[in-house]
Amino acid sequence: MNCDTSAKLIPLYFYGELPPEEEDHLEQHLDACAACSRQAEQYRALAVALDRRATEPPPNLLAECRHGLMQAVERAQIPAPRAAHSTAWPHFREGFAALLAQFSRWRTPLGAVALVALGFFAARFSLPAGGGLSKADLPGSDNVISSVRSIQPDASGHVRIVLDETRRRTVSGELQDKNIEQLMLAAAHDETNPALRVESVDILKSHSDSSEIRGLLVNRVLQDPNPYVRLRALDGLKPFTAEPDVRKAMAQVLERDDNPGVRIQVVDLLTAHADDQIVGLLQNVVQKDDNTYIRRRCAETLKDMNASVGTF
Amino acid sequence: MAQDAPGAVGARLSPKLDEAGLIRAVQRGDSDAFEQLVRAYDQSVLRLAVNLLRSQEDARDVFQEAFLRVYRNIHTFRFDCSFHTWLYRIVTNICLDYLRKRKVRKEEPAVVDTSEGPLDRMNDFEEEAAHADPERHLWNRQLSHRIEGALGSLTPRERMVFELRHYQGLRLRNIGEILGTSEEAAKNCLFRATQKMRVELGDFQ
Repeated sequence: MNCDTSAKLIPLYFYGELPPEEEDHLEQHLDACAACSRQAEQYRALAVALDRRATEPPPNLLAECRHGLMQAVERAQIPAPRAAHSTAWPHFREGFAALLAQFSRWRTPLGAVALVALGFFAARFSLPAGGGLSKADLPGSDNVISSVRSIQPDASGHVRIVLDETRRRTVSGELQDKNIEQLMLAAAHDETNPALRVESVDILKSHSDSSEIRGLLVNRVLQDPNPYVRLRALDGLKPFTAEPDVRKAMAQVLERDDNPGVRIQVVDLLTAHADDQIVGLLQNVVQKDDNTYIRRRCAETLKDMNASVGTF
Repeated sequence: MAQDAPGAVGARLSPKLDEAGLIRAVQRGDSDAFEQLVRAYDQSVLRLAVNLLRSQEDARDVFQEAFLRVYRNIHTFRFDCSFHTWLYRIVTNICLDYLRKRKVRKEEPAVVDTSEGPLDRMNDFEEEAAHADPERHLWNRQLSHRIEGALGSLTPRERMVFELRHYQGLRLRNIGEILGTSEEAAKNCLFRATQKMRVELGDFQ
């Protein structure tokens, strides 16, 4: 390493943002080069001085801000945030329109115990009740949601409106019910709606003793693009950390997942049940992971196992 | 010597698992849930604004504007990133606007020259503590001007990256995500910021 490279790395070194290998090289250079070592020391002094500049807001300012915010919310009469059904739920429901078509045999209500309720609208807006049309003219009941496909005036002054209608239906039943379980499993794969996946996995994770659900959780941990879903799936897999298929999945997550929160969760689970088979994995992670906590946790576990931290 | 800034891991360690439920409640229009959500983050938001802008008045405005934007737009939050990242995108955008306006107006945000020498207006926050600790008071008077000058030499973006890394303890990867750029770009920005400050402050000891 030369002095130019060293100068560029010193600030990152100070903030713990260097990969371990680069950190080692820089430390070796600093040990050997008095000028760079002096520069690092100057940077440390500068950082200490800057630390002293940090200011904590006085408590009364925080209280004033909180009060002012709540007053502003009331004063401005800002409408409450739009209910969730105007955002996530339509996507969920749109996704379910196709899905529920496969379940047309469900023409009778499921069990009396309503643990899970699922509904859908495959429409972009609902007609206001009585908005210019008599109730009798409205398509069906409240369970029918319509979107306007086309509007055509005719010579008599009337307007011809073509509506697309979708019927909403609610099914309910216990999670042990295979049909409900299948719906939930499908919901957990809905690519268009992360909020739906979070909710589905959240409910399913408490039933991870079912091999199908456990398979889903493993799949979500490895495949889901949303870290919240992955974290919830991991939560459901906790009791099975000793199972080979679960450990294999966790090893892949530790090596590949780009979210440090997820990797931290996995490293804690894996190292709590450390065995010889993860030595290679931990050695690899110590070298490559950019998160200080993860590297430290792996190194400590390797030391506890009397395994070498590095690979040769 | 290498170290994580305080809170670096804590900020990203584990997204609170009940937070998603709270967010969904706010999305359904629950204003109590909104207040709880605000309280989970408002101290760190205010600390960022105060430290960055060095003005109680501006910090108060940033605070209010940021959380009002959260309130108005939370229905668009789709859990594609952490709420912390989403919130900080809003806060940093507002703060960057303030910093840019100051650059245009060439305002000196916090330090003003007085007949008694440079005075950091933010020292009003700590007046009582300063009198109890004369050494610190002296340090403030003599050095804060130089440090503010050095920080003032940074572009708003460099200043923001430096603030988020040095004072708020966020990792560069997270900073990149907040500012809509890559980790590498955040790294370069931090390097430029530290270089400029070293040049401004000379052989600071």
